[in-house]
Amino acid sequence: MTYVVTDNCIQCKYTDCVAVCPVECFYEGPNFLAINPSECIDCDDCVVACPADAIFSEDNLPDDKRHFLEINEELSQIWPQITDQKEPLPDADKWAGVTGKLEHLIKFSTEG
Amino acid sequence: MAIPQKYQPTEKEAAFISKVVNGKYDREIITGLKKFIDGTIPQDMKGFYSPEEIKAITELDGTDRDIQARMPVKITRHYFEQAKTSKAIQMLVKASPKETYDLDGASDPGKQMSYSPVEGLIHKYELGLIYVASTCSAHCRFCYREELIAKKAVERPDGTVAAKGLAKIGDIVDYVTEHNRLVNENGGRHPETNREHLREILMSGGDPMVLGNKNIAQWLAALSQAGIESIRIGTKELAFFPERFDATFFAMLDAFHASYPQTNLRMMVHFNHPDEFLSKDPNGNYIQHPQGGLEWLPATRAAVQEFRSRPWINMDNQSPIIAGINDDADALRIMQRELKRNGVENHYFFCGRDIVGHKAFNVPIETAWKILNESQKGLSGVEAHARLSITHYKGKTEVAAVTDRPFPGVPGGENGVVIFKLLRSAADAPDRCKVTIVGRNPEAIWFSGYDDRVIMDEAELYSIYGIKLCTAIAAE
Repeated sequence: MTYVVTDNCIQCKYTDCVAVCPVECFYEGPNFLAINPSECIDCDDCVVACPADAIFSEDNLPDDKRHFLEINEELSQIWPQITDQKEPLPDADKWAGVTGKLEHLIKFSTEG
Repeated sequence: MAIPQKYQPTEKEAAFISKVVNGKYDREIITGLKKFIDGTIPQDMKGFYSPEEIKAITELDGTDRDIQARMPVKITRHYFEQAKTSKAIQMLVKASPKETYDLDGASDPGKQMSYSPVEGLIHKYELGLIYVASTCSAHCRFCYREELIAKKAVERPDGTVAAKGLAKIGDIVDYVTEHNRLVNENGGRHPETNREHLREILMSGGDPMVLGNKNIAQWLAALSQAGIESIRIGTKELAFFPERFDATFFAMLDAFHASYPQTNLRMMVHFNHPDEFLSKDPNGNYIQHPQGGLEWLPATRAAVQEFRSRPWINMDNQSPIIAGINDDADALRIMQRELKRNGVENHYFFCGRDIVGHKAFNVPIETAWKILNESQKGLSGVEAHARLSITHYKGKTEVAAVTDRPFPGVPGGENGVVIFKLLRSAADAPDRCKVTIVGRNPEAIWFSGYDDRVIMDEAELYSIYGIKLCTAIAAE
């Protein structure tokens, strides 16, 4: 099993999950975080830590978010690891809870 | 938003940590029963739970006897492979409805919260225990940290109720430094608690070995820097996922030892049964090694040999005696012999704790003593070092002897007596090796089974609760 970051992280990226993850299995993109499914050890700590309720265990993943399993697997292999909590994105509180954010997901930074 | 202040390592710590590389591990963990139920489990794992077993467990979902809420189900690929040919391992790791038939027990066994001065730290004896992880690679059904693993709220001495939190490096370093400063200023004893120097820390959880190398390295360095002389790592990872002990891990340990040569590492490993580390032939029998002893699982043996090739690292095994898993003198004899032969000391065997639901797992105290005693017949002196311990609120207590000779005139005395010896007093040392003698009760699974038959109570295991000697009760 694994845990899965879903759309409500997009444009928010609070990173509270990163601070509690015991195995540092979070990977960071420009406006989203991804969990590496084979490194995650199913401790459940990130679920309660996330202020945006964006993280689910694979077993509790709602049907309309199942595609995030693959998204996490793919992005965690191309993005750099993140091990320290940082400031959320500037408009995080504005974006938290907004639905259908997948269209805003940025895979690669346009800068540099 | 304020980012919580992270512990700032010293230059020396940072120099060591910068050399550490995290390994990559795929434990192939299966958590929960859902994949077993919906059939998405890997093909060869189908059938690990029968449809009847699944039905009996899931029928309890959402009730006060919910098995998965009591303790989440979790197994690694490696442990599953061993479970296929071992009834004992299946008992250890497979959920069963009998776990919640009887919910009697304590939510915080050993009253750990009353010994917790800082979140995530239990300070007993001259030893501190810290919770550094809230999970393990797989879950023992009889887990004594169920409240931590299943994230249940426990009551604290101040009356508040909250889930147990993990230790933070900065908090622990501050506590150790301040405690030892007061001890030093006061001539070797803490002015309030009378405790000695805090010189040993046990990293526990959960299993510290689920953490990455860098995370473990930060703890090792910070604790050493704070003056801790011996660090213990309590782990069952050798049984659950021995591949965790890879070249990157031992490189981290070597770099640590180069930076902090004075710190001693004690691996407190947790094998319950020889099926967890021995190879079997196709008939399910252990394999005699041509050069003597029995064949080990290669990855497990390789990890033990790596540890043992480093003279600053000790290894000790401790295990509870659990019904249906290792209440078997022959299995315990083989385990003690093979561990000692490969350089792992046999430290304690434990009587089951009074966790919630303990009646499904616990072996009566007197039976456990007899099983261990039987297992040690035929072992040499050095192989038979392990003692049977039961954890009293006052401290670690040895079940020193169970006699068969009648001791007339006291309840249970017609069968003989049980002798308890207080090994470690949790608060401080004066009561070490004091003894309590009780009339026998072959059914007793906890101290309370002897409340009406206390013959002599030098260790004050009973008088601390106002329980009188049976002679005093009879006189009333």
